[in-house]
Parts: sequence; C-alpha cells; structure tokens
Amino acid sequence: MNIAVPPMEDKKANKLKSTRIAGKLVNDYWEMVWRAKEEGKLICWYEGSAINPFLEAADICWVHGEAYSAMLAARHQEETAQRVAEERGYMRELCSYARTHLGCAVSNQRLRGDNSGATPDDDDLTWKLPAPDMIISAYAYCSTGQQWDEMTSRVFGKKVPIFNVSLPWIWASKPDAGYLRGHEWHETSDYVARQLYDMVKFIEEQTGKPYPWDRLRAMMADIKRASELRLEAMDLCTAQPAPASFFDWVVSIAPINNLPVAGVKDYFETVLAEVKQRVASGEGAVPDEKYRLFFDGIMNWNKVGWLANKFARYDAAVVAGRYTHMAFWQEPDLIDPKNPVLGMAQNYLICPNNHAAPILIELIMGLCRKFQVDGMVIHASRTCRAFTNPQFMIAEAAQRQLGIPSSMFEGDVTDESFYKDELLNSRVEAMLEAIESRRMAVA
Amino acid sequence: MKQTAEIEEIVGRLAAIAEDPNAYAVEWKARTQRKIIGILPMNFPAEIVHAAGALPVLVQEDNAAITYGRSLLFEFYCGYTRSLVDQAATGKLKIYDGIFLVDHCVALLGAVDAIRFEVPDLPVFLAQFTASMDEDTTRPQVHGRITELRERLEELCGSSVTDEAICRSIEAYNRDRALLRRVYEMRRLGRISLSSRQMQALVKSAMVMDVDEHSQIMTRLVAHLEAGSVHSTGLVKLHLSGHFCHAPRPELLDMIESCGVAVVDDDVYTGYRYISTDVPHKADPITALTQWYFDRNDNVPCSTRAQKSADWESYLANAVEKNGAEGVIVLVAKFCEPHMLYYPELRKELHKRGIPHLLIETEHEGLALEMLKTRVEALIEGIRRSVLSRETA
Repeated sequence: MNIAVPPMEDKKANKLKSTRIAGKLVNDYWEMVWRAKEEGKLICWYEGSAINPFLEAADICWVHGEAYSAMLAARHQEETAQRVAEERGYMRELCSYARTHLGCAVSNQRLRGDNSGATPDDDDLTWKLPAPDMIISAYAYCSTGQQWDEMTSRVFGKKVPIFNVSLPWIWASKPDAGYLRGHEWHETSDYVARQLYDMVKFIEEQTGKPYPWDRLRAMMADIKRASELRLEAMDLCTAQPAPASFFDWVVSIAPINNLPVAGVKDYFETVLAEVKQRVASGEGAVPDEKYRLFFDGIMNWNKVGWLANKFARYDAAVVAGRYTHMAFWQEPDLIDPKNPVLGMAQNYLICPNNHAAPILIELIMGLCRKFQVDGMVIHASRTCRAFTNPQFMIAEAAQRQLGIPSSMFEGDVTDESFYKDELLNSRVEAMLEAIESRRMAVA
Repeated sequence: MKQTAEIEEIVGRLAAIAEDPNAYAVEWKARTQRKIIGILPMNFPAEIVHAAGALPVLVQEDNAAITYGRSLLFEFYCGYTRSLVDQAATGKLKIYDGIFLVDHCVALLGAVDAIRFEVPDLPVFLAQFTASMDEDTTRPQVHGRITELRERLEELCGSSVTDEAICRSIEAYNRDRALLRRVYEMRRLGRISLSSRQMQALVKSAMVMDVDEHSQIMTRLVAHLEAGSVHSTGLVKLHLSGHFCHAPRPELLDMIESCGVAVVDDDVYTGYRYISTDVPHKADPITALTQWYFDRNDNVPCSTRAQKSADWESYLANAVEKNGAEGVIVLVAKFCEPHMLYYPELRKELHKRGIPHLLIETEHEGLALEMLKTRVEALIEGIRRSVLSRETA
C-alpha cells in the first residue's frame, strides 16, 4: 500500500437502497424466461441493441445473450457454460459473452438429444436457457455480435429463423460529421430504421399475427420517461459527494436495457427520489469521498460488488462511466412515442462504441468535466475488443485535454480468470498518488 | 533446367516485391507521379482505386517487432491490426495518400481509429459493407457504399472515375486473377512444384503491384509452368485453411513442407480466397462490383459474413475431396474472432468426414517452430499410418 492515507478495510460502498428493487425485477424476469416454454410463448434470442420492446409488444419472450452471460457471471455460475463451449472448440480468447452464451446453446442442444449423454441439473442455469424459436441480431459496432448469432443459428442446425439488423459504425470523416448530426448520421439512421421495419415483418411471420404497433408506442412512451428519470438521477451525481456511483448505474442497466417495460418507470422514479434525498442530506455513494473517478470500459460482471467496495475503500467515488452514461436509451428526446422507429434506430446507433474516436473522446471529456473527475480508471476487458479499441486514445486525450491521470487494469466481462487484482491495486494506488501530488502542487 | 531457372527468377522477382511492398509503391509513385492508396482486407474492390488512376496496395503485416504501436492497441489483438497501428506510429504509412477500407472486423475498426488518431493528416475512409448477406436491404447498401468510394476517390485523385475506366480495371483484375487461378489449378493437379512460400509470393505480389505489370509477369510464368512436366512426389498432400487478412509467415510454410508435405490447395486470404472470384460482366460496373462481393462469399465462404446458404465447413470438406488432400492444417491468427467463432464448425465437419486436421495458432511475435513441427509430424505420421492400414486391410 503506497498512498499517503491507507484505505480503511472496513469501508464499503454505500449502495443505493433502491437498486435492491432491480435485483428483484431481474430475478422475476429470468423466472419468466425459464417458464416461457411451459407457457407456450415464442422465444427470441437476440444480442446487442435493446430491441426487446419490439418483442415484448408482440408477446414474444426475449432473451438477451449478453444479459444471460452477465447474469451467470454475476451469480458465479458461468464456469459450466464456458467449459462446455471450450469442449466444443471455442477458444479462450473469444469474446466471453459469446463463449458463455454459446456454451448455454450447446448445453441446450445436448439435452435435446445430440447423443452427448447430458442430463439436466436443476441447479445449473447453463442448460435452463430455453431454446430459441427465432434469433434476431442487432449488434452495433462489434462484428463479433453478428457472427456470434450466426454461430448460434448453426449450433441449432440452422433450423431457427434468423434476422440480421446491421448497424453501421459512425465513422465521421465528413466536415459536417458530429454527434447526432451530419449527413452520415441521418443516412445511417434511415438505413437502420428501414431494417427495423423489415424486422417487424419478420416478427409478423413468426407470430402469424399483425404487429401490435399501439403496444409498442405505449411501451416507448414509458421507456422515454424512464430514460429521462434515469438521466436526471445521473445528472444529480455532479453533487459532491456523489449520491450514487457508476456501480449503482451498472446495477440499473438491466431495468433500462432488457427488463419488462411495465416496471421500469416506477423503478427509476424510486431511484431518482432516493438520489434527490441523498443530495439533500449530503449522503455519498462512498463513505468518505476524496477522489472522483471516471470508469472507462465494460463491466466486469464477476466483480461488481467487489470493485464497488474496493474503490470505496480508496475513498474514490466512481461517478460516471462510458458504459453507463453513454448508452441504454441515452437520447430520449429522439424517441417520438407516436412514431418511435427512427428514434429507436438512432438510440441503437448510440452504443458507447459506435462512434469513432473523435466523437467518442469529445463526449467522454465532456462527462469528465461535468462530473469534475480527478482521474480515470480503465478496464481493459481482455475479450471485449469493442470496448478496448479506443482506450489508449481516451487515456491520452484525458491527459492532454484535462490533465488527469488514468490507470488501466486487465479483467474481462464474464471470464474471471483474466482479472488481475494486484495489478489493479498497484495501478490505482499510483494514480491516486499522482492526484494527491497534483493537489499538493496546486495548493 | 533453363525453364526451372526462369521460373525461379520470375517468382523471385515477385517475392522480392511481396517482401517489401513499400519500396515498390514508392518507386511506382516516383515513376508515375500518381497516388498510392492503402487498402485493407478482405473485401475491398481494388478495381475502383485502379480506375481512379491510383495504385491500390493491400497493406501487409510488417515483419518488424511491434514497439510504438503498443501504446495504441493492446497485446490481445491479432498480429495484423497490431502491425497496422505500429506502422502508423513508426511513420511507415506515410507513403500512402489515403487508407480505404470496407470491412468492419472489430479489431480492424480499432486499428483504423488509431491510425487516424496517430496520423491525422492521412485521409482514412471507411465505406462499411454490410456483412449479413441475406437481407433485402444489404445489396442497395453495398451498392451505395461503392458509389461513395468512387466519389471519395474522385475527390482525392482530382479526376472523375468513369464507368469505362472501371470496366477496364475490372478486365485487368479478372485477367490477373485468372492467371493466378491457373497456377492454383496446376498445383492441384500436381503439375508444378512451387512451394507454399512461392505461391504466397504470387498472390501477395498481386495485392501490392500494378495489376498490368503483375499480369505481364504472370503470363510469362504461366507459360513456363505449362511447359513443365507432371510431378509425382510421394509426399502427403495437405490443404491449408484459414488465416484471414494477412499472410502466414513463410518460415511456417517451409516448416510444414519440411515434414514430408505437399500443399496442394488452400483457402487462406493470401491465397485462393483472394483470387477465387471474378467480377461479372454487367452494364453498370458498380452493380458488377456489388455482385462480386456476394459472389465471393458464395465461392469461398468466409466466417466474417453471415449467410444462410454459405457454409465454409462444407466448402472446405468438398475442396479436400476434389483436390485430393489427405489432411487439413487450419491456420488461425491468434485473437482472430471470426475464425475462433467458426473453428468448431470446421472441426465438426472434418471429424464427420474423417479428414485428419491440425489447428495451428500464429502470432506476430514469432512462432515456436520446433514445437509446431512435432505436431505437424504427428499429423503426417497419423495420415501415413492410416493409409498404410487401409492398404494392408
């Protein structure tokens, strides 16, 4: 331990109480998924963008591949799926979201009689993921997403109907290019919207019913409101001490991203109320906020609580992050509930990776300024190249433009074996020392 | 003997260019006073750059150790993308007047973002080709992107790119591909004894040279090869599969062949995958180039594309049946996600058809050749024993 004030071992993150509701909503949702076959529902597997309102409106049970992998990792039940995937030949350096999810697909196939002699284990969630009746791929930025869906289809013998929505990267090389503006943005938005209309035709083919547009419109009105509430609560974390942390917003991803729409608005109303109350009373997300950090990178789902407590012990409030603050219905103003498709397409294009570095860096520097961060912690997720692609550029920009240090650590989205705790400790401590030195110099 | 010497001389000349494409490009530029456009794999239609009067050079992996590039991309990226950013960081991309690409592998996107960051004055242009081939919206989207490429090249090169010029370029590239495919055909028939290193040099040089110059040389080479005689080697015949975007190291190919192997065919990118498909004849050349994009994946399916009707595994197994290979070596560039995702499908099919195979992962930072040699020898031994037991049964 190097920093001037050693971290107190008994300190813990002061998590938002309301996020416990998210835990219950998540559990209820997965129970619904596991019952879906018995209830005679069609099941759609999808990855990437939050197309779930399209499915929920059509009474299709939706299963987000990353969410399932993340759930397994958060419950420390990912190993079986990853082992099964490895047995089939998937290599360890492959996206662990994909590897874990494909492991579930392979397990499911075995139980359906591919003569591998598998028997179900009631406690093992790997095999419980119900097989898909359809697959929709709508992955922004990461080429692996679409390929993963293609492989899933092949694991099921190419017998499951599949539809691809392609979301081009916003490369932004023309003079008018920028965040939510320019010819490229509008042309790309229209292209994605056209594909979403085709996707609805595909859904109609699967259900054999006309698409219930009114239900989608109503759902998108709720999502728009939930998103506004979420963003308002996030904005209140500019307060010092910050009333909620990046880790609270991580826990709140599932509600905004893939849970049934009905409970989402209420959830974020409760969260917002608690955040407001904390601001009023000066209660912080860490017991003694001394440093404010930005988190770049995707979440390490095996380590959410672990990392929250670790940073709390360093008196470091992780106040914002690229993963949480630049995605998940991030631009509610673009959603017109009466005519929601274009706005949905545009929100899908605003994934935290789907803009090229110049735009991405401008947005991140803006967040760092807004939340008055002292430093940046960067999670180099070993198998998620989509997130690691711009990280050296982001770190350099933070140093050049804001004069703030950054600290990188290696981990992974769902493969715990890549996480290196001691490296994280020593690097974060070095960064906090640099922040201290800078403060002393200014004083 | 004279014929053999001529062949060696021609292949050696192409190999020297393939070894140092930058030197060739710089000399070409000095000679022609025209622009050099770096293009990135694997689906870029070089014809459109050629029609603009520029030299399309498919940027190759550089053999140099990765140094400054380490501060742009992490070590858990494929050797090709790490090499690209290292070339940017060490000034080697400055010979290009622009970098153009149409593929959107996630690692490649990371690399081009870093290139633009590192070399801000270098125009870098992405015209993203949709990778899902079955959707109705894909074809018009790809057509639009090729049209956009044409416009950007007109801006960069300062002159219009006419339909006639594109048609001439298409003819030139079709001619060159046909010559290369003829060499491949002769290799499959056992009529030539070019090594895999030499075969790679033929294709790699086609990726970086002026197409007409390459065709002239290839025409001479093919004439010499046609005049040769049938070889019966007694070696174990293998098919090399995979290795997207960049070339496997020649020393790896040498090692494989040193184990009593004759490589009779491949589907590697710096091999048959690159030359497999001609651009069809159509009145509108942009429509023709669009069709080429779809045809390529029909002919030699690629795991970077999503297409229900195309299966790499059945293509591979059928190719092995046709070319008489007794086994397959699958070459995977370490960290290549599309290949890692697809490998289980290949493995399953090869097992099903009883085709012996070996997986080798390659890396930029050298290969443990002696250790790999043991594995290749084991594969060859297994194949020989299997043949022997069939013969004695």
